[in-house]
Amino acid sequence: MGKYDFSWRIIEENLPELIKGLIITLQISVAGMAFALLFGLFFATLRFSQYRILNIISNSIVQVGRSLPLFVLLFWIYYGLSLKFKINFTDFQAGAIALGITGGAYMAEVFRGGIKAIEQGQSDAAFAIGLNRMQTSRLIVLPQAIRIILPQTVNIYVGLLKGATIVSVIGVADMIYVAQYVSLETFRPFELYSFAGVVFIALTLSVASFAWLLERQLSGKSRRG
Amino acid sequence: MDNSVPLFDFAAVWNSRILLLEGFGIAMFCATAAIILAMIIGLIIALMRLSNSRFLRSFAFVYTQLFRGVPLYVLVIWVYFGLAIVANINLPKIPAGIITLALLNSGYLSETFRSGILAVNIGQSEAAAAIGLTKRQIKRYIVLPQAFRIVLAPSGNQFVDAIKDTAILSIIGVPELMRMAQQQADLFYRPFEFYTTAGILYFIAVMGVTKLFSFMEKRMNKVDFTNGSQKLANVGEYI
Repeated sequence: MGKYDFSWRIIEENLPELIKGLIITLQISVAGMAFALLFGLFFATLRFSQYRILNIISNSIVQVGRSLPLFVLLFWIYYGLSLKFKINFTDFQAGAIALGITGGAYMAEVFRGGIKAIEQGQSDAAFAIGLNRMQTSRLIVLPQAIRIILPQTVNIYVGLLKGATIVSVIGVADMIYVAQYVSLETFRPFELYSFAGVVFIALTLSVASFAWLLERQLSGKSRRG
Repeated sequence: MDNSVPLFDFAAVWNSRILLLEGFGIAMFCATAAIILAMIIGLIIALMRLSNSRFLRSFAFVYTQLFRGVPLYVLVIWVYFGLAIVANINLPKIPAGIITLALLNSGYLSETFRSGILAVNIGQSEAAAAIGLTKRQIKRYIVLPQAFRIVLAPSGNQFVDAIKDTAILSIIGVPELMRMAQQQADLFYRPFEFYTTAGILYFIAVMGVTKLFSFMEKRMNKVDFTNGSQKLANVGEYI
């Protein structure tokens, strides 16, 4: 096997394309996160409902969502549903939904954990001074829960960002996809994938350190009564 | 919907059951081998991060950040194609997949182990030093066995993630469950049935591992020696 000469110029030449791909990666991860927040909030709320059946249903859905690999979800939604039920999502929509389901299952646990961490005494005290249920949630529990929830939410976003790299398998034109097709034309897979890897490491590390900062900032004040 | 085609036809799935189960076996093998490797590497990295040498500490820090930051998709391509190009190392598919998963998970596990070691009450090491154990003995007989119990649950979660991540190994052609499901789905033109089956198998594996680890955790954590007072956990349950 001959020696491989590195040619990093290939990155420079295709930079606009790669950046376009990166923007799509960011878009799909943000769309996925928006779904995840909705799903998560919905199922976390169901788990606090007074009807046992709702608790059980939401618990099972969260369990299933957490157990399925993103890869399987992607194929199931994009190919499985379209052929069987004629539900045709575009590749971007399918990717965002799959990311949303995976992230949502984790978010549900984060929301639940955050709300449960607030001592019962807080709500009792709020009731005692005459606040109603709605007011107690809005004014007493949620502002405190946010401090616990926010850093973990950013961590889940990091997970989704990394997960977003595999949406290229169903044809979303993200950065990996661009790296793939440019490398097919130029036979430079190593340079292109390395570039993509470095960009992702930089991206995830900066978001993760943001989460870390947030955590330090928010835990400065006491969070439990 | 085409009338000639039944809505659900799992017969094709049943006919391919041997292939799917084979893939399932390979996926579980990859995940298990990877997590064992990752635990060994992770422990070494965690001890490096807690060592006195500045060089070892920074090496371990960079290692952790690198493998926690890189997406699996990129890492698996690096290991399988990149190493072949750069270093002329041509790994077979399954070992390449196992190494990839091991590298990725070792980054996460080293952080888990580090926090587990730090969570063991300092009084334990002090007491051990007082009765004359050496630093090495303290690590080996006092700190690590207790840290092990603390990290058991998070390690179980990591194992679950590794099982789920084996699906991505299909992109380099490891003949694991997802790869098999993809092939059969294309062959019989039944993606819904095959991917649903694959999903169910992954779900069973994940549930099994989760139950196994929570059982082990219950058995081991009868007494809690972590930070703070040595309180008995769930006293009522065991006495």
